[in-house]
Amino acid sequence: MKNRFLSIPLFLLTVFSLSGFQKARTSIGQPGLLKITFVNTVKGKPLQMDSTVYTNPFSETYSVRKFKYYISNVAVAFSDGIYKEIDSYHLIDESKPASLSFIFSAAPNRYHSFMFMIGVDSLKNVSGAQTGPLDPLNDMFWTWNSGYVMAKLEGNSPQSKVVNNKVEFHIGGFSGEYNVLKKLLLNFPAGISLDIREGKTSEIIIESDLDKWWQHPNDLKISDHPVCTTPGELAKKIADNYSNMFSIKQVINN
Amino acid sequence: MISLCAGIALFSLFISAGNKPGPGPTYLQFKIPAGWPKPATDIFAKNRLSEEGFQLGKKLFYDGRLSKDGNFPCAGCHQQFGAFASYDHDFSHGYNNTFTTRNAPGLFNLAWMPAMHWDGGVNHIEVQPLSPITAPNEMAENLDSVLRKLRKDTTYLRLFKAAFGTPEINSQRMLKALAQFTGSIVSSNSKYDKVQRGEASFTPGELNGYNFFKANCASCHKEPLFTDYSFRNNGLAVSPFLNDYGRMKITGNKADSLKFKVPSLRNVALTFPYMHDGRLYSLGAVIDHYRSGIITTQPTLDPLLVNRVTISNKEKNDLIYFLNTLTDTTMTHDPRFSEKVTYFSH
Repeated sequence: MKNRFLSIPLFLLTVFSLSGFQKARTSIGQPGLLKITFVNTVKGKPLQMDSTVYTNPFSETYSVRKFKYYISNVAVAFSDGIYKEIDSYHLIDESKPASLSFIFSAAPNRYHSFMFMIGVDSLKNVSGAQTGPLDPLNDMFWTWNSGYVMAKLEGNSPQSKVVNNKVEFHIGGFSGEYNVLKKLLLNFPAGISLDIREGKTSEIIIESDLDKWWQHPNDLKISDHPVCTTPGELAKKIADNYSNMFSIKQVINN
Repeated sequence: MISLCAGIALFSLFISAGNKPGPGPTYLQFKIPAGWPKPATDIFAKNRLSEEGFQLGKKLFYDGRLSKDGNFPCAGCHQQFGAFASYDHDFSHGYNNTFTTRNAPGLFNLAWMPAMHWDGGVNHIEVQPLSPITAPNEMAENLDSVLRKLRKDTTYLRLFKAAFGTPEINSQRMLKALAQFTGSIVSSNSKYDKVQRGEASFTPGELNGYNFFKANCASCHKEPLFTDYSFRNNGLAVSPFLNDYGRMKITGNKADSLKFKVPSLRNVALTFPYMHDGRLYSLGAVIDHYRSGIITTQPTLDPLLVNRVTISNKEKNDLIYFLNTLTDTTMTHDPRFSEKVTYFSH
C-alpha cells in the first residue's frame, strides 16, 4: 500500500506546497488526519530480514532477524507552534507490517517539520505497568533494571565471535550520562510543506536506514562490539549513530 | 460516608469510602499511620485502590499459575508468617530445584519504598513482579503464558471485571492488581509502635537497646520505617559464588560497588537470615559483624562504618531486646492479607 504513495511524482507535492501561505491556526474545526509511515531500509533498499546478507562500512557482513524501535512524542510544527499527537507511543517492528504506520487526527494547518523522540520518554520508564505499545509483553522492557529497550537490532555476522555468531543490540537507558533518548526534528525539503485539511488524510513517509548504526559519529565494528544489552557508554554510542538513520522520504498532501 | 476509626484499631488501615453504590469498584483510601511521613510518590495515584482490585491482587499473589509449573506463587517465597519474606531461608527455592541469588525481602510498607530489589534496579512497584515471574530460577514463566492461563479461568474474568470494569485480562491490569495488594500491606503495630503511641512501655532492656539504636543505627535505619532507602556498603566480603557487587550493576558506577539497599528493620526477628545473601543467621551474628566483622579496606565502605561500631555484650543483648519489639504480629496474622484457605474442598 505504501508503494502506491511512493509512486506519486515529487512535482505534484511541490504544486500543493505552492498553493498559498496560510496563517497558522490554533483552533480546530473538523480535524484532518495525519498518517506516519516508516520504511526500514539498508542504504535505501527495503530491509529484507533473515535472508539477505548486508555489508557494513567496515566490510563486515551481517543478516537481520529482528529490528524494532520506539517512536514517541510525535508532533508537527507550523510557523508559530506545534501540534502534538496525544498519548504518542509507537513500537515500529519490521516483522509486523501493521506497526510500520500509524494515524492520528491533527489540526488543519500548514506544517514545515516533523518532530519525534526515538525511544520512550523517561517519565513512562518510571510510571509502572503500561499497556498497548508499552506493554512488557512486547519484549521491550527490562525487568531487572527497569526501563524500556528503545531500539533492538538482532541478527548474525561471521565477524561476531560470540555464541552462534550473534549480533544483539538492545539499546536503552533513560537517564544520566548515558541517556540514549533522542529528540529529532526533521524539516521537510525546501519548498515542501505538509498540509492537513479538514476530513483529509495527509502522510509523511520516513525512511530509516539501518546501515547508519555502524558509523557516524562512532565507528562501531561488529568484530569489536557484537553485543550491547545494557545501558552505558556503548549503548549511547550506538544511539548516537542510529539517531542519524531517519530522513523524510516523502510528504503526501491530500 | 467515610467511616472513621478513632485511635488505632487493629484493622483500621483500610477505610472504606463506600461512596459508590451498585456496580463498580468500592474505592478504598490508603491510610498513612499517624506520625509517619507521606510516601514520596503516591503509588495509588494512577492505580486507584479498590476492594475489588485488592482482592484480585491477593488471589494473584497466592496463585501458583503465575509460575511455570504451578508450584511457585509469589506467596511461596513471601510468606505472611515470616513478614512476607522467605522464612529461615538464605536463598529462596525456584523452579526445577534452583536457588535465587539474593535473600527474599519482607513485603510490607512498600508504599514508601522508592525502588525495589536489593540493588534498586526496579523503579516502580507495578513492574516488580515481572522479575520473579520471568526469572528461570524463580517462577520461570513468561507473561504471555500467565495471561493465557488466567483468561481460561472464569473466576478471573469475573474478578477483573469487578476491579476494572470489563473482563479484559492484560498485563497492566494484572500488575496493577498485584500492586494494590502488596502496596496495601502495612506494618505499623509492633510493640515499638504501641510504645510510640503511649499504649505500651519498653522493658528496661528494650529501652536501653532503643537508646543505643537511636545513637548508633538510626541514621541508616531511620525511624519510623527503619530504613532511609539509601544504598550503602556495610563491609561484607564478596561471595565468590555470587560475585554480587550490588548497585553498581544498575548504575554502572564504580562508586556504587558493593552497595545494597538499607533494609527496614521492622519485623527483623522474623526475616532471618540477614544481609542481601542471607549469610548471617541471627541478630547476634549481625551485631557481631558491625562490631568486629566489617572489612574496613573496601573503598566504597560507608563512611559511618570505617571504625566499625563499638558495642559491648550488654549493649548487644539490649539491642536484640529492642529489635524484637519491631515484630508486628498484627500484620503477620491479619486475615486481610492471608490466603483464604478452604478446608475439606474437593
